[in-house]
Amino acid sequence: MSNLLDIRDLKLAFKGLSGLSEVLHGIDLSIAAGERVALVGESGSGKSVTARIILGLLQETPNARVSGEVEFDGRDITAMRPRDRARLRGTEMSMIFQDPTSSLNPTFTIACQFAEVMRRRDPRMKQAECDARATEMLTEVSIPDPERVLNAYPFQLSGGMNQRVMIAMALVNNPKLLLADEPGTALDVSVQAQTLRLMHDLVEMHHTAVLFISHNLGVVREFADRVYVIYRGRIVEEGPTDAIFHAPGHAYTRALMDAVPRITGAGLPEVPEVSDDFLAPMVRHDGGAA
Amino acid sequence: MTLLSVSDLSKTFQTASGPVHAVRDVSFAVDRGECLAVVGESGSGKTTLANMILGILRPSAGTIAFDGAALPARRGPIQRRAIQFVQQNPLSSLNPKRSIGASIRLGLDTYGIGARAARWARVEDTLEEVGLPREMRRRSPAALSGGQRQRVGIARALACEPELVVLDEPTSALDVLVQARVLRLLNDLRARKNLTYVFITHDLAVVRNVADRVAVFRSGELVEIGDTPKIFSAPEHPYTRSLIGAVPVVDDAELQLRNRLAEGT
Repeated sequence: MSNLLDIRDLKLAFKGLSGLSEVLHGIDLSIAAGERVALVGESGSGKSVTARIILGLLQETPNARVSGEVEFDGRDITAMRPRDRARLRGTEMSMIFQDPTSSLNPTFTIACQFAEVMRRRDPRMKQAECDARATEMLTEVSIPDPERVLNAYPFQLSGGMNQRVMIAMALVNNPKLLLADEPGTALDVSVQAQTLRLMHDLVEMHHTAVLFISHNLGVVREFADRVYVIYRGRIVEEGPTDAIFHAPGHAYTRALMDAVPRITGAGLPEVPEVSDDFLAPMVRHDGGAA
Repeated sequence: MTLLSVSDLSKTFQTASGPVHAVRDVSFAVDRGECLAVVGESGSGKTTLANMILGILRPSAGTIAFDGAALPARRGPIQRRAIQFVQQNPLSSLNPKRSIGASIRLGLDTYGIGARAARWARVEDTLEEVGLPREMRRRSPAALSGGQRQRVGIARALACEPELVVLDEPTSALDVLVQARVLRLLNDLRARKNLTYVFITHDLAVVRNVADRVAVFRSGELVEIGDTPKIFSAPEHPYTRSLIGAVPVVDDAELQLRNRLAEGT
């Protein structure tokens, strides 16, 4: 039992007016402690719902049917009581979102929101202690004047600044797992590149495992050790980042790669129509998951 | 043959905290049939520039000339028809209460294009041109996928038979596979109809493959303009170099190019 997160045969269906519609068709995914894993796919492929299941949020949605095992740090999340799952969020696992400015609360200062996060782990923490720890974290994400930022409201800060605040907040309780859903997609490319580098260094330093959810192959290549490609609720390929990018084995992965325009300018790619090959069995590369 | 020429264009917004120079002394020209990419980060003045070209905003100073004549502050229907717009987010730019067909037809009615009785057929022809089925004119925007909606946005602009199309991030809301198809469509349409594009985007990899020339903007100023292959192989301005250096890349050839540019700084 060496993996931090082990997902086995995860299925998800939503109950609608026309019966059950299956969204995930049995996913296997694992993350070792301190590992950076990417989950890549198009919109509607099931990336974000997977993250919501790991967080234990979808299990509480009345019309969602979840089956399969999600083992986090030796405990089965799907079998837990909702209260115990809630206790994990923000302490053992945390999440950062696509648009930092809209995921921070505009009516509270950054200091206030930091304290709220830290008191999830230790409710008796004094405001002064929280502020000191927050200042430390903000310095770690290269924010030059942490005092000013702590007293600011999110809308007074730039998008890139808010993104750093989010990263700092997500890591303040030293979680074992960080879920990052398209971080920085809403930001300019140069800011995005900076935040990714920063996040990369920080998780390495804190030995935090990351599940990085993205549709951007370039970003994934730069950030992840290992990649899962998801298509319509099925994992179609898995392997170390190098192997996936140098020798993509699945028809869908190849189509995705071909469709990305290159800065070397080979012209616009010929895009294959959606074919049955996309539903071919999963391709696993050596050196992947245990 | 120059189609659009912008000279010493400026736009200043008066705000509570003083004037903001959104666009400052910008001059460039676009030839007929050409695709000029306008790149820059948020706040660089790309959208303000587009709005001035479209006649939505009045310039604070400078002139915009189209087909050899300066455009007046208040444009007539002929001038408005000739310059059309494709927006980033087709869901918010199409009226949700109107059918797809009605949205496209609006331009035909406004500018009196074609005989009234033949307009529905024209709407359907345009849908076909962008690769959508003719029956789609009866559908509502909500029933369409992102890629289909963007095609409708393109059809809406095309139906007016424009000469110049201003595209504001036309594919950045789309998945890669869909994006590649829409980019192909835009390229084909430009060649077939001899259209001229002003293509606004922050995605440099897209720019490399669709634009003939690139104009790089930073805080309202034009910092570099040139032919696409040259901008990407030997950018002169440090800002252009840093922009290209920040693009997330997929293959090794790209990585080498990026590293080579990074060493040049």
